Order: sequence, then structure tokens, then C-alpha cells
Amino acid sequence: MTIKKTNKAAMIVLILGLSTIILPLYMTLVIAFKQPSEMTNSISGILSLPKAWSLNNFREAMEVTDFWRSLRNSLLITVSTVVLSIAVHSLMGYALGRNKSHSKFYSFVYLFIVSGMFVPFAILMMPLAKQTAELGLANWFGVILLYVVFYMPMNVLLYSGYLVNIPMALEEAAKVDGASTWRTYWKIIFPIMKPMHATVAVLTALAVWNDVMTPLVIMAGSGQNTLPLAQLNFQSQFGTNYNLAFASYLLSLIPILIFYIVCQKQILNGVVNGAVK
Amino acid sequence: MKLGKNERKTTFLLITIPILALFICFNTIPLIRGVIYSFTNFKGFGKYDWVGFRNYIDLFSDIRVGKSYWFTFKLAIVTTVVVNVLSLLLALALNSSIKAKSFFRGAYFLPNILGALVVGYIFNYFFTYILPAVADMIGIDALRTSILSNPSAAWIGIMVVCAWQAIAMNTIIYISGLQTVPEDVYEAGGLDGATGWKQFKYLTFPLIIPFFSINMVLCVKNFLMVFDQIMALTKGGPAQSTESISYLIYNNGMSGGQFGFQSANAVVFFIVIVAVSVAQMKFSGKKEEQL
Amino acid sequence: MLRRKVKYLGAVVCSVAAMAVAGGCGNSAGDGKIEVEIVQYKPEAANYFTAVEEEFNATHDDIRLKISSPNDAMTILKTRFIREDYPDIIGIGGDINYSYFMDAQILEDISDYEGLANINQGYLDIDEALKFVPIEGTYAVPYVANAAGILYNRDMFEEHGWTIPTTWDELLTLCDTIQGEGILPFYFGFKDTWTCLAPWNAMAVDLAPADASKQVNRGETTFAKEYREVSEKYLELLQYGPEDPFAYGYNDACTAFARGESAMYPIGSYAAPQILSVNPDLNLDSFVMPANDAADGNTLNSGIDLQFCVTAGCKNKEAVYEVLDFLYEDANIQKYIDAQTAIPCKDGDFALPSILDGMTDYITSGNMTDYQDHYYPSEMAVDAQIQTFLLNKDVDAFLEKFDKDWLRYNRDIIRLVQDYEKQYGNAN
Repeated sequence: MTIKKTNKAAMIVLILGLSTIILPLYMTLVIAFKQPSEMTNSISGILSLPKAWSLNNFREAMEVTDFWRSLRNSLLITVSTVVLSIAVHSLMGYALGRNKSHSKFYSFVYLFIVSGMFVPFAILMMPLAKQTAELGLANWFGVILLYVVFYMPMNVLLYSGYLVNIPMALEEAAKVDGASTWRTYWKIIFPIMKPMHATVAVLTALAVWNDVMTPLVIMAGSGQNTLPLAQLNFQSQFGTNYNLAFASYLLSLIPILIFYIVCQKQILNGVVNGAVK
Repeated sequence: MKLGKNERKTTFLLITIPILALFICFNTIPLIRGVIYSFTNFKGFGKYDWVGFRNYIDLFSDIRVGKSYWFTFKLAIVTTVVVNVLSLLLALALNSSIKAKSFFRGAYFLPNILGALVVGYIFNYFFTYILPAVADMIGIDALRTSILSNPSAAWIGIMVVCAWQAIAMNTIIYISGLQTVPEDVYEAGGLDGATGWKQFKYLTFPLIIPFFSINMVLCVKNFLMVFDQIMALTKGGPAQSTESISYLIYNNGMSGGQFGFQSANAVVFFIVIVAVSVAQMKFSGKKEEQL
Repeated sequence: MLRRKVKYLGAVVCSVAAMAVAGGCGNSAGDGKIEVEIVQYKPEAANYFTAVEEEFNATHDDIRLKISSPNDAMTILKTRFIREDYPDIIGIGGDINYSYFMDAQILEDISDYEGLANINQGYLDIDEALKFVPIEGTYAVPYVANAAGILYNRDMFEEHGWTIPTTWDELLTLCDTIQGEGILPFYFGFKDTWTCLAPWNAMAVDLAPADASKQVNRGETTFAKEYREVSEKYLELLQYGPEDPFAYGYNDACTAFARGESAMYPIGSYAAPQILSVNPDLNLDSFVMPANDAADGNTLNSGIDLQFCVTAGCKNKEAVYEVLDFLYEDANIQKYIDAQTAIPCKDGDFALPSILDGMTDYITSGNMTDYQDHYYPSEMAVDAQIQTFLLNKDVDAFLEKFDKDWLRYNRDIIRLVQDYEKQYGNAN
């Protein structure tokens, strides 16, 4: 592999684009440190630095949201959903992706599941609230189960799309060696899909991490909070404490950002593995 | 050989059936229940009566619903184009040999993680105070007042925020697509003298078409079902000019007392959106085959 | 054969998954205590209710009280209703949701609750009026009310020697004076559509019959007739606001008013905490919206902000009443109104918050009228319609649409009223 020169045009585009991210982020950061009495309706007011760099907002935000407990619930739900999604959805994507072109049944199931993506959540909400309660699933386990179902359409779409670029020859070679389909999948196909696992993980984790409605509807009254649920406490129609809210959002941003950076590396590693044919 | 084929078939069935059952259990069955509600005047609680097709008849004579379809599709189409062009550009840039790759990839991902409350506040501030002040300074009259307070321009503000947030996801998918393009394709292409735009058009793009269609579907899903950004930015205003279909379904169905009627709206919307996506997938599927 | 097995497996997958966790929930107290659960819809009062909960539990051995103050409580309540998981007591506002809940027979008749005798009759009447058609029984105990009118910057008024207007003409003259001194009379936050309703309600109580909506439901009048004057006067008011009021949200308006960018802000008492958080030193007071041309034609716009209802089929009525007794103790109500700048619905000697000084006469004399929007179904989006009207400034089109939409969105209620009238005569 030869070391290429830095692509200058790309750098310029990226740095220009970055300004659209730095400015909002700067505003978020500054507001998170300010006091409500420092909020104004002018540009200089919003861009000015806070009077004091105190971590009080963060401390108070953690208290209001019962941070560690909510974080634990959020992590539990997110990690379980991601692990289950990668296992279940990649299998489903494999089964459907390999068969949908020549089997009417699989092609129908594929369309059936993918079209589930377009069911507006609002129509499912009431029936699901009832159904999960009847099944005794009005708790975090039910929420995870629902997530695995909700994100199935998108992830199946992603996995079976990725499979198009994985040659059948790899599987056929394994079959000649006498390996079962199940074994072939876990030994050969699953590892090869690593970049897609990382992508799915990021997409799913992010959607779950920020989701409010599902836990709100399903776990209502259970006394358990996820971070986004707890963060609802900052806003009401008649008054919103943006300073605390922003501090809290910055805090909850950190775990998912770390997760993303880890996954990014996996996407890169995947290339190296995949390149070895 | 025959045995092997059967084994493969059985394995696939064993995988598909239980997962499909789970999906039907928590997606299809509640959907069917929702469809049943669409024939009632259910408010979301208490008793209700059957009203036959009244909700569906109302739906087609409701100007508000019609307006929301127009707004939603306008927004979705424009945003899809903007997002795909920009995120493809970004993905190419992020995938080329640049300095501080990880930093840039992290930074461009940030818009996606910021919660709706933060995004809503920041952009409201931007459109209400910062943009008009800047426009005043450089003398653009059209932008002197907040575009979010202008019924005919507010959708552009929503488009900007939707795009700002969505570009990250689409870029990731394009990047993972670009990773599947083997280096030797470029080397071979380089020998043929394919560089720049030509290289992209004839070598790169055809290879990432599956990812292009994934992104198209995701865009359709995200933007036709746009809700969070509306809640954060305009709550349907000004003058009800930015009420998306999902906004109506949620706001009037869940928060309001129109659960039955909005269920009918959701059913029709579901059918429309599936039709659009199937058409789209058929279209890009054909493209894939051509290549 | 295998295939059939597979299908069977698939069919039971959900139920197995379900059973794995079933039995994990259920809330038997275990220690012999009766558990009473309250869900109330004002998250901004969460701190107060946590304190009440602790105090109650510390002083009662036989009952355990649990109060939750979730955000988006209406969604939570509705989803809990659908899974038939009813909290014992719900704290909601005196608005159309309360009417719906009564109509859906979700609430328990609590006319035997002795505490009702201490409640201000005016608020009990408001609750009575919220019934779509007369039905037997009392279904809520009003707790606190709020009031809407005009909040003003007391220091600024004193400094310039402005006086409180009592008629519409006086208000307009005052606005002209304020404007003449280079100060903005009003701030508006019309980007948040719900704030469009605040001046609307405050003016409508002065100019339209209190039961306008019910009269329309009975087919006796139209909104085009009742709301014309309100609409026209609203447009006059608009001239004294910021140049582009639709660019600013509630929060912007609160901040601007708190920082002295305008002399007045037509909004409800509920905005006080938010305004004071920006500028704790602001000397805030309020006065009744003088929309009528005659001073004695004006009335204070006040409605029930929070009331407690018991859900139907409640098993431990005695325990629930004990909890209510505790909530309605004078000391607790006083704490609530101090924290939330509210008006108590209970008769008694309460110290009203100073920001209500200008409204006190109306409150003590009982000259109060409920919010008109407590009768509007939320899905009709009257707030957005008013915003549209203020943008287009077309009174006729607005009122015509109002009447037309009203009939459509209230179809079921109107039918209910008509059926009732057929059976019992006038539903008045």
C-alpha cells in the first residue's frame, strides 16, 4: 500500500463544513455553563462566555435526572437492544438477502418486514400499550423486545443490502469443506459483515439512546426512568430551564459519542479484513 | 448434494419463521388493532362507537390533511436530494486521505446525537436572532425577519435542520459503502486514466448503488415521517404551514381526542408511503441489475 | 414434519418470551399498608409534591402515598387507562380533557367527600359547567386556579406615572403613551401557538358569554356573532407588540419582558416563575384585561389549573379521602400557591402572591370567568387558527372557519347534547 498525499480539496470542504457544527456546539456548551439570569435575546448575549465556569449546572442536572440510575437503565436497554439486533437482524438479513431473489416466499417476507418501517408509531402506541400490559411486558424487557421489532425493518434492509457485495463463492467454498449453513454463517459471513455490524450498532444505539416515546408509553408508571425520560423533567409548557437541560444533554451525549468512535474503528478494521480475499 | 440443499433450506426456514413470528406479534398485530380503531370514533380512552367509513370520508375532505401531505412531500423530496448530495460529498472527503480522519468523523456525527430540545433551541435562536442580524449586516432583505415566522418559508428552516441532522447517518452508510470498493478498482481505473468526476461516475458510484438505495429508503422514511424537528422548531406553525402528517397523527390522535380519525390517517399514510418505497426500490433494483 | 414443528415454535415464541418476565410486576404493598397513587399533570410542581409525599408518609402508618409528576402526563394517563391500570387519584386541569374523562365514565362520583364544603363555590360551578350534558354527581375537587390578564413591570409604571387601565379605551390610550415614550407596550411570543390563546381568553371573557361554546353546541348562536368583537380588538392589540411577534416563542417573550424590553406582557400568572428566573429582581404585578368598553363589564379570566379526581372503581375510598384531606390542609395549599404563584380554590385566609395584587379585588369578590379554551377540543387547534388569523388579519375568514371547524370537531358532543335535549328538554 502506498502512502497517499493529503487530499487538499477534501480538507477544505471538511473544514468549511465543520463550522456548521462548531457554532451550535459552542452555543450548547456556553448555555450549559450559564445561569438562567444570563440568558438574553441578543447575539452578543448568546455568544458571550458565562460569568463563571462552574460545574454546578452539571451537578444539579445529575441530581434532577437521578443520573447514575437513569444512565444504568439507558445503558442496559441500549446495549441489550444492540446485541440482540446484531444477532437477530443479521441472521434475518442473511436469510432474506440470500433467498429473496429466487423465492417468492422470502421476497414477500422481505417486503413485509421492510414495509414495517413505515408504520407510524402513533397508530401502534395504544394497541402496544395494551398488548404489552396483557403479556406482562410493561417493563424494560418489553421495551427491548419492541426495539428489536421496531428496528428490524431498517437493519434487515441494511444487512441484506450489504450481502449483495459479499460473493456467494465464499459460502460455496465452505460448503465443499462440509460445513453446515449455520456454521458457515457464523464462521464466514458474520465476521465479514463487521463493517455493517458497526453501522447497525451505531444506528440502532443512537435511535434507542434518544428515544422517548417507547419507554414513556410502555414503562409509564413503573418508576423506572431512562435518561431521555428523566430529561423531560427540564421542560414544561410554562417554563424550561435550558441551562440545566443543556448540561444534562451534554452529559448524556458522552457515552454514545464514545460508542460511535469505537464503532468507527470497527468499520475501518472491517475493511482490512474484508480486503483479504 | 441434494441433502446439502435441503439442509440449507431448513436452516433458512428455522431462522426466518421465529423472527417473523416475533415481528408479527409486535408490529402486525398492533397495526391490525390500529386499523380496527380507524373505523371507530375512539378518543384514546373510554367507550367508542363504530362509525364505518366516516373517518376515511372525512380524511379526503379535510383541507388540513391535504395541506399536510403537500408540506410533507415537498419537504421530503427537497431534503432527500440535499442530504444525499451533501453526504455523498462528505463521505468521499472523509474517505479520502486526509489528516485527523477520526476527529472529522466524530465531529460530523455530533449533529445526530444532540437531543431535539437542544437542536430546537439552538436553531430557533439561529433563525430568530442570528440570521436576521447577519442578513441585516450584508443587506439581504428577504432574511431580515425570521424565516420560521413566515408561513411560506418556514419549511426551508425545517429542511435545513433535517438535513443538518440526517447528513451524519447517510454519510456513515456511504462510508461503509465506500469501504466495500476494493482499492484495486481504483488502481485499474487509474491506468485507464479515470480520475475525479469520471472515476466517481464510472467506478465508484456503480459499486455503491446498493448503499445509495438504502439511503434513499432511509431518507423517505425519515423525512416523510418527520416529527421531532417539527416539534422542536415550529410545532406546526406559523399558520399551520408546517404540519407534517406524522405531526397530525401524533398530536391530534394521541394528545388530542381524535385517535380513531388519525388512525385512519395513519393507515392511508402507511399505504401511500409503502407504495412510494416499493416503486423506489423497484427502480433502484433495476439499476442494480443493469450494472 | 419439521416444517410444522418450526411453525409451532414460531407461534409460541412471543408467549414464551412474555412468560419469562411475567410476574415481575404487580404492586401489592406487602407490609399491610394501603397504597394510594396520585399522578398529577404539572411537572413544574414536582418538588412540592415530593415534599407532600414525604410528609404524608412520615405521619401516616397505614397508608403509603405515591405521587408522580411526569412530563407529558396526559399521554401517560391515556396509555395507563387503555391498559386499565388506573392510579387512585389523578391531578388534571379543568379543561376539555376533564369533560372527556367524565363522559367516558372514568371518574368516580365523590359528592360524599366532606372536603367539598370548603371549596369556593365559583370553582365548583366551573366544574359543573364543564360537563357536556348535566349528569349527576361531583367528579373533581378543585385545588388551585390560575388567572390570565396582563402582567406589567411595576417599577416602570411607577417611574413614568402610568395608571392601570380599566376600560378598552384607557388601555389603548396607555399603549399610545407608552409607545410615545419609545417603549414597547407589549411583548408577544406567538411562535408558540398556545400563547395566542392567552390574550384571546382574557378578552373573550369580557366580551362573549361565558358559555358561548355550549350555546353554539345547542345551536342557539354562532361564533361569528359572539367572537367578532374579540377578534377585532385582538388585531388592535397586535399593533402594540413587537414588529414580528411570530418570530418569538414563549421563552423569548418571557426573557424580553423580564429584561424590561416591554412594559407589559399579556399572559397568565403561570408565566411568573419563568420570567422571574431570568430576572429575579423584577417588580412584577398584573391587572385584569380591560377588553370591555365599560369598567364593570370586565371580569377576571380564571380557571382551574389543578384539581384532583378519583378514578372509577377505586377500592380504598376512605384512604383516598384521607390523602385528599391532607392535600387540602391550609398549610399545604399555601405552600403550593407560594411556589407556583397560584390562586387557591379553597375558601380561607390565604396570602396571595404579590404578582396577583392587581387582580385581588376580582378574586375576593368572585368576579371570575373560566377560560373559553377549556371548551375547545385540542385537535381543532384553535391556537393555531388564531395565529393564522393574526397573520392574515381577516376577521371574516377566521370566524367562518371557526364555525365550520367547530361543527366538525365537536360532532359527537353536539349529538350528545341534541340527544339529551330530545329526552329532557333544554340542557341548560
